[in-house]
Amino acid sequence: MILATAVNTAIIAKGLMIAGGFIGPGIGIGLIGGNYLQAVGRNPEAAKFLGQALIFVAIVELFGLLAFASIFIVK
Amino acid sequence: MLGMFKLIADSGPIVHIAPGVIFHIGKYAITNSEFYGWISLIVIFILLVIAARKITIFPKKGPLQLVEVTTEFIINTVETSFEDKDKAKKYRPYFVTLFFFILLNNWLGLLPFVGEGFTLMGFPILRPFTADLNATFAMGAITMIYVYYSSIKESGGFIDYLKHFFVGSPKNPLFLIIGILEMITDITRVLSLSLRLFLNIAIGEIVIAVFSYLGHILAPLTALPFTLIELFVTALQAYIFTILSVMYLAIVVNHKSEEHAETT
Repeated sequence: MILATAVNTAIIAKGLMIAGGFIGPGIGIGLIGGNYLQAVGRNPEAAKFLGQALIFVAIVELFGLLAFASIFIVK
Repeated sequence: MLGMFKLIADSGPIVHIAPGVIFHIGKYAITNSEFYGWISLIVIFILLVIAARKITIFPKKGPLQLVEVTTEFIINTVETSFEDKDKAKKYRPYFVTLFFFILLNNWLGLLPFVGEGFTLMGFPILRPFTADLNATFAMGAITMIYVYYSSIKESGGFIDYLKHFFVGSPKNPLFLIIGILEMITDITRVLSLSLRLFLNIAIGEIVIAVFSYLGHILAPLTALPFTLIELFVTALQAYIFTILSVMYLAIVVNHKSEEHAETT
């Protein structure tokens, strides 16, 4: 109660939400991109699968966007 | 000068994540995204009808080539997803339509006069159609209904369609649980399709609004790079929406043709 009156906890909550919600998709997209480039490095024919890699990027990205959207709920 | 002080004293950028009602026609409340949706629908309809009338067998120079190239690109991706060429020919018109509808709606939403700039009753007058969960949910639901209808028709009946969820006999409890889990993930596809598109467009609008707020007088300059990023991201989202729905359909259709190959 004292903490809630002293500082604006909503801002801390939003910051933590962004930090936690973006770190996962960040790692995920990094892994997808890294593995795609590794596959291309081993086998240059694999470069045609960029479209599939982008689909997985979009799937991972959704979770980051969900975290971003939920900061508008915190008041 | 007074306007500048007012800007500095502002508490923050005004953003909306949901559309707002701007006026009523009779009993029906018209939201800003619905209003702009009708405008963009008419614009898209006119543009594409003109493009379809003007296209010839021998390609001409000009913006028409862009339409041709995009159509061919989507047709190619649909045809590579389906193993059977005739099946791909049957289903590709819907997916090309879907892609163009989403792409042009997203791009029309990036025009400078659309967004938080002009407001009426506290809400922006024009809001991109796809930045509304109702719109994207309708798109996702119609797409999935079409996919379910076509896949039931392709598998030759409802029971045969349900069979493709199970890897083995449903009497085995492990396969039964896996099959039921597969069915539940199938239902969430509508939500994931619609939420992905909605959040990408709505958050893009918010990012542009935030950066044009930070720019004060130089708002066009600060918002420009993010608008250019959005130009790419929205095109990618339209592609992903299309290709994911193609894949949901292709899984069932290809599964069926594999079975045929095994038995004959």
